[in-house]
Amino acid sequence: MLDLVRSIRRHRRLLRDFVVRDLKGRYIGSSMGFFWSIVFPLINLATYTFVFRLVLNMRWGNQQPGEQVVVMMFLGIVVWSAFAETISRSTNTLVENSNLIQKVVFPSEVLPLYLAVSSWVNMCIGLVFVFGAAFWWGYVNPAEPVEIPLQPGESPFAPFMFGAPLVLLPLLFVLQVTFALGLGYLLAALNLFVRDVFHLIGVALTVWMFSTPIFYPAELVRTKGFGWVLDLNPMAWLIDAYRDVVLFARWPDFALLGRFALFAAVLFALGAAFFQKSKSRFPDLL
Amino acid sequence: MNAATPAHAPAANLAPNRGSAIYAENLSKCYRLYRKPSHRLWDVLFGLKTYQEFWAVRNVYLDIPHGSTVGIIGENGAGKSSLLKLLTGVTTPTSGKVEVVGRVASLLELGAGFHPEFSGAENIRLNCSILGMTSEEIDARFESIVSFSELGDFIHRPVKTYSSGMYVRLGFSVAASVDPDILIIDEALSVGDEHFRGKCTNRINEFREQGKTILFVSHDMGAVKSMCQWVVLMDRGEVLEQGTAEKVADEYLKRAHARGNERLSALNRGSSEYPRWGSGEVEVTGVEMLGPDGVPSHVLRTGEPFTIRLRWKAHQATKNPVFGVGIYRSDGTYVNGSNHHWRDQPLEILDVQAGEEGEVELSADRLALLQGQYYLTTFLYDHSKAAPTAIDHREHVLTFEVLDPKRQQHGMLLLSSRWRVNRRGPGGERRGESPA
Repeated sequence: MLDLVRSIRRHRRLLRDFVVRDLKGRYIGSSMGFFWSIVFPLINLATYTFVFRLVLNMRWGNQQPGEQVVVMMFLGIVVWSAFAETISRSTNTLVENSNLIQKVVFPSEVLPLYLAVSSWVNMCIGLVFVFGAAFWWGYVNPAEPVEIPLQPGESPFAPFMFGAPLVLLPLLFVLQVTFALGLGYLLAALNLFVRDVFHLIGVALTVWMFSTPIFYPAELVRTKGFGWVLDLNPMAWLIDAYRDVVLFARWPDFALLGRFALFAAVLFALGAAFFQKSKSRFPDLL
Repeated sequence: MNAATPAHAPAANLAPNRGSAIYAENLSKCYRLYRKPSHRLWDVLFGLKTYQEFWAVRNVYLDIPHGSTVGIIGENGAGKSSLLKLLTGVTTPTSGKVEVVGRVASLLELGAGFHPEFSGAENIRLNCSILGMTSEEIDARFESIVSFSELGDFIHRPVKTYSSGMYVRLGFSVAASVDPDILIIDEALSVGDEHFRGKCTNRINEFREQGKTILFVSHDMGAVKSMCQWVVLMDRGEVLEQGTAEKVADEYLKRAHARGNERLSALNRGSSEYPRWGSGEVEVTGVEMLGPDGVPSHVLRTGEPFTIRLRWKAHQATKNPVFGVGIYRSDGTYVNGSNHHWRDQPLEILDVQAGEEGEVELSADRLALLQGQYYLTTFLYDHSKAAPTAIDHREHVLTFEVLDPKRQQHGMLLLSSRWRVNRRGPGGERRGESPA
């Protein structure tokens, strides 16, 4: 693993070029460029809002008003998209860049990393909008609680606010990127041995997304007796922590965050080790 | 080459010396070929041997001193590219070892190492960073790379829009500008236009003068011979012979000769697919080409005597059959046609009886064809009528190859030409003339 870190340090310029190039492609390549990275999450949000709030009449605690629910969902989508994008693009990245790997001596460990960094930058742009909305409904035009009595097990209305817990945001970034990157390395290498991985991962990510409380409150899952799904799902812990830190100025559940950190570290070590070990075989496997 | 000293084995005095730019010993590369993708899964999961081994490179020994220009030749599939990938470190050897001293720049294939979505400029930076150059080094060389490539405004377009010639220009510009210690060039260069190829040759000559190591891969013996002092001949993954250009070139031509015969015989067995028509009273039963030694061969040499022999058999009586031969180049160009009737002194075959058989031969003292692949069409026409009618016309009846070891002329035909040079100046009048 030291090798990996050293090689990436040595090729940091290459990494930068790839990230810059990818972001440029995202924002300059298409005619509406930058616009799309905002529009996509918004379209997703509109779709899910329609389904979950209007059709299924899903509530987020009885006292949380609609505009707040939408922002919470949006934050979940932004974080999830960055993660899912890193995973799915990493899985295929070695195949896509086979021209480099097969024909020149190329540091392929740069590839999943640049995807992770690029997705993270894109996520930050989304987060700017989340902060804007939180500021609007928290300070400029404070959201009013909906006057419906609390059901047992529900938390009362919480206003949007900024506070000290925001200092944890960089830590969340690091943990998220480590987790996604570990999985990215693992899947990228695995996909060369078994090409079916690329097809499976699309389905797996959809299943994973719907079992993560992005469009519905975690409490709802627990009261229905499916709490174990949440206990197995690191992304649920992470998105919860993001919501606490970014929207409500609450300190996240440090036990869960610690567990996520452990998970991320182990996964990264495993993924990176597997990637490094099979690296010399990549040109033959492509 | 004999059994006692195989060409790939190190001679006693050829131990790895300090001056080696490239040193390889017992270098082998085996690829696993799976019949179905799922077989790879079984192999990965349970170690089942569901694959076939393919040894692309086998027990190769190489010791290339600094500053030499080395050619690697061999037919398609001989393992040249696999060997290069091992030398450049793109793939790892299955067994054996390889040592390369210095920075390697390679031009392996068209567009190798380019990212199709990136622009030419971005690819220059990408390639330079892959070669381990710092930002300052890249910035310092960027302009000269761009101007050498002569790509103009195309340098800012994605390389996927480039023509093959533009790929080569970009690739060579980068490889030549990164100041490599070892330059490896595959056949890619042949795609460039005449002007750019000239520039490349100049650059390569500069490299040689600077004492850099150059590895040049080709199946064009002429090009290798003109550029390289040392030649490595590969066949089926093994090094058949390595040595001075002259020595290996002879071996190569000999093998091409034998191989040509083998391959062309196979080609000729399928010649019944070509059209054949005529009334059939007389049949051309076989066609052979004979070399100077009178032995049938499908490979001839420029400038040597040859004979084309047609065997025939008459099924019915025929008054005046005339045999002819047409020679075509493989692209269909009609090179020559003649028969034994249309001559100053015609040869007649009159009143052939049923059951009669024999041969007709066409021969010449010098084969005036230059290197290339050609084919024969035979004509057998009845000339007893005003307009001759076909008895047995056989298209594309035999394919043959012409080798020209000297390569003194280019094109299709060998002309016995003469050169004369006149000089006038302060030194008075001088004159030179080459004999025909």
